[in-house]
Amino acid sequence: MRRLKRMMEDLDRDIRDHIERETEDNIARGMTPEEARYAAFRKFGNVTRMKEETREVWSLVWLEQLLQDIRLGFRMLRKSPGFTAVAILTLALGIGANTAIFSVINGVLLSPLPYKNPKQLVAMKENDSLPNVMDIQRQVRAFSQGGGINVEPMDYTGGSEPVQVRVGLINAGFLETLSVQPMLGRIISPGEDVQGGPRLAMVSNYFWQNYLGSDPHAVGNTIHLGGKSYTVIGVMPASFAPPAEHADVFVSLWVGSPGAAADRGVHFMHTYWRLKAGVTLAQAQTDMAAIDRRLAEQYPAEEKERKRQLVSLHEWLVGDVRSALLVLFGAVGLVLLIACANFASLLMVRAFTGRQELVIRAALGAGRGRLIRKALTESVLLSVLGGAAGLLFAQWGTSMLLALKPEKLARLSGIHMDTRVLLFVLVVSVLTGIVFGMGPVWIAARADVAEALKESGRSTTASTMGHSIRGILVTSELAVALVLLVGAGLLIKGFSRLRSMNPGFNSANVMTMYLQLPTTRYGEIPKQTQFRRELLTRLNFLPGVQAAMVTDIPLGGNYVGHRFVIDGRPPVAVGGEPEVQTLSVMGNYFHVMQIPLRAGREFTPLDREGQPLVAIVNEEMVREFFPHEDPIGVRIRWAGDTGLPRWMTVIGVVGDVKHSGLNQPTDPAVYTPFSQSDEAWRRFMTLAIRARDASPGLVEEVKRQIWSLDGQIPVGDVHAMDELIAVSLAQQRFNMLLLGLFAALALILAAVGIYGAMAYAANQRTHEIGIRTALGAQRRDVLRLVMRDGARIALFGIASGIAGALALTHLMASLLFEVKPTDPATFAGVAILLAFVVLAACYIPARRAMRVDPMVALRYE
Amino acid sequence: MSTKEQADRIELLQGTLDLLILRTLLLGPAHGHAIAKAIEFNSDDVLQVEQGSLYPALHRLIKRGWISFEDGTSENNRRAKFYRLTPKGRRQLAAETSKWGKLAAAIARILRPAG
Repeated sequence: MRRLKRMMEDLDRDIRDHIERETEDNIARGMTPEEARYAAFRKFGNVTRMKEETREVWSLVWLEQLLQDIRLGFRMLRKSPGFTAVAILTLALGIGANTAIFSVINGVLLSPLPYKNPKQLVAMKENDSLPNVMDIQRQVRAFSQGGGINVEPMDYTGGSEPVQVRVGLINAGFLETLSVQPMLGRIISPGEDVQGGPRLAMVSNYFWQNYLGSDPHAVGNTIHLGGKSYTVIGVMPASFAPPAEHADVFVSLWVGSPGAAADRGVHFMHTYWRLKAGVTLAQAQTDMAAIDRRLAEQYPAEEKERKRQLVSLHEWLVGDVRSALLVLFGAVGLVLLIACANFASLLMVRAFTGRQELVIRAALGAGRGRLIRKALTESVLLSVLGGAAGLLFAQWGTSMLLALKPEKLARLSGIHMDTRVLLFVLVVSVLTGIVFGMGPVWIAARADVAEALKESGRSTTASTMGHSIRGILVTSELAVALVLLVGAGLLIKGFSRLRSMNPGFNSANVMTMYLQLPTTRYGEIPKQTQFRRELLTRLNFLPGVQAAMVTDIPLGGNYVGHRFVIDGRPPVAVGGEPEVQTLSVMGNYFHVMQIPLRAGREFTPLDREGQPLVAIVNEEMVREFFPHEDPIGVRIRWAGDTGLPRWMTVIGVVGDVKHSGLNQPTDPAVYTPFSQSDEAWRRFMTLAIRARDASPGLVEEVKRQIWSLDGQIPVGDVHAMDELIAVSLAQQRFNMLLLGLFAALALILAAVGIYGAMAYAANQRTHEIGIRTALGAQRRDVLRLVMRDGARIALFGIASGIAGALALTHLMASLLFEVKPTDPATFAGVAILLAFVVLAACYIPARRAMRVDPMVALRYE
Repeated sequence: MSTKEQADRIELLQGTLDLLILRTLLLGPAHGHAIAKAIEFNSDDVLQVEQGSLYPALHRLIKRGWISFEDGTSENNRRAKFYRLTPKGRRQLAAETSKWGKLAAAIARILRPAG
């Protein structure tokens, strides 16, 4: 540093010396001393800049200057707190919203699944049976491991009340495939995973903490599940959960449900596979096709026409939320773009008002690069501060997102700020500062110094250029806001369509509750029927209560399908029969759910065991299978019956029910009485209870009735029917709320931007308006003058926004329900809304301009 | 913004000034003003040096070790800094000169093809 100082002093002397010599030379050529000195300086050039350049040769200038610029930048920002606050807030909103969505995307789409080598894991789209899983595991060389799970609620009787826990019935391969290391104890070995094997249980960390008191010696304890005792051999780590479901305890399927384990035709396990190193999904899929053929030949009744499709586990888990998240990310990116346009606009105004200073600096010898750098430092400083504030917004926004999240996102709850999110914020902030700070600075800096010094800060080419660039910025803001509003409008319209969909039943005042009868005491159908009948009798005695039961409640997430045969139709090949949804009911189910009867009659208590078999079908079934005949009196039976055919006579037709979701089509369905069933494995049922007032007291009363019949029956999944509908709408609601929020944010930002641009433009024209008024222009004319600008912006902005929306909304077609991406009503509504917003944003400055006192305006400089 | 009126003069290419300074100092040590004059004189005033830009260039060369400087007294008894070519600078000049020659010849061939 000292050396630099000496060098610079020497340089001063050298330059003085140089000028003197040149002056002397000039005098010698015959100039007057004054002329000579002036000519010498001219020939030398800008002294300050030369000194600056020489200094740069010797120092770590960029660092010095950067620090200096940052200090200076902070000082400038402090001096204009209003500008600083608006700029930071604008960017914080844009960056914050982006960060929140990015952290969800990061957690859900980008982070690897919480299993070892997750890229090797694949899922099978169809459920499968354990015998098939074992055959595939043996025969497909592409897999190193494979296994399946079926989660079943069971009663855990450890404390006073039986509690329902979710038991994962698995095979040994399941845990090996996911490479779980138990936290305590061990996992089940293949030798123990056999028919008649020992009763062993592995418990989840949650179960261990809540029911085993986090006992470090829990291994070896005995627990009672579904009336049977199991020995705990392992405790899972807290980080482990099955890929797509929740389970509290894991037991071998062979041990927990031997009947189901041995049945090749009961396809109920979710299966997962690990690819061998170097094997691709496509290769495995080819192997799978060979297996499909082989199994179909060997077991035509169970396996004919089955096509097993593999999909990477990641895709399987996030596939259907990906498109929603990407659309939201795109939307929030557009919000940022609007925020950036406002930011650039603000900077531009600042650059022009600060132009005099810039020009003086340039005249005093500041290099152009240096000036640009200084201004850029300021804008990057602002954008980084905006990013930091945005991080706070994001923190808050992410917790809001998590509160709103639909079920599907909940499973991957690894949503938090990690280094990747922070890096994202940093990159977005700095880029924003550079890209959007560059334009205004560049325009301001290209000013010709001499020209700029002459002007008094008004109506010059540069500021006209700035004005038109602001116009372009505001117009694009408007266009982008329109795209977002159209997107939000389409989602809102689709959502309201979805909400107003008739589910086919009346959900008001209906409460549901899931029960499963333990095998030990209810293995046979007569026992089950006796319990069901007694329970319904007791429940219907409660004042103001109507109760019935069904195997799977609509929107409850469960579904059983069966193949069936129609009497008198040409025979269909075994395995090729059509499939319908099958439901068993008891009690006045259609009455309780208010599902309308369309033809024939409902079940009566006389339709019971020992009586002729009867069935009720839905309208979709009639449309698909009996389009030209009366279905009443037709006989059907389930395919694959052994022994005597059990023909059921169709006695009625009921309305369609949205079983799998309001946005899902209705499948053909057949209802049969529980008491005429021959499937003893259907030990489960969902109570549907309509009460005048569905108070919590009712739930307790129902439980009391159940336990007065059998104190060992667990009760689970207590939901109001309205709640099930709300849950089924959660994903759509989530999309709509978020996109709506972003669109509102975009609208506000764009309105602020337009207002700012208009107010500034009107202000710049105060002088002109004063002259016009003085020359006799009416207020009306002034109003028209200012509004004309606004109208032009509205016109161009809306037109280009509509073009953009037409190009982009088809990307969100998969998120829309019964609304075309080009829905004209939505487009028109949004365009009108925006036109109003623009005119309102112009009107305020226009009114102010109208009131301009010509005397004041003419003096205005 | 300073050389509009001298349209027929050629502004120097970046880096060329360094080469001209080295060439000038080959004849012996000189002070700043003398170097500027020498360059103008030797190029028959075709090359127009904005004289000030000489100084950043000189300091650049000092930093690279191609020239050194010493305080001296000039002809009319004024203290001034004298710049002198170092052996390293001499080698650099040789290398640059031959490179420049090749470049100039090549460009000439392209701009005025033989025949």
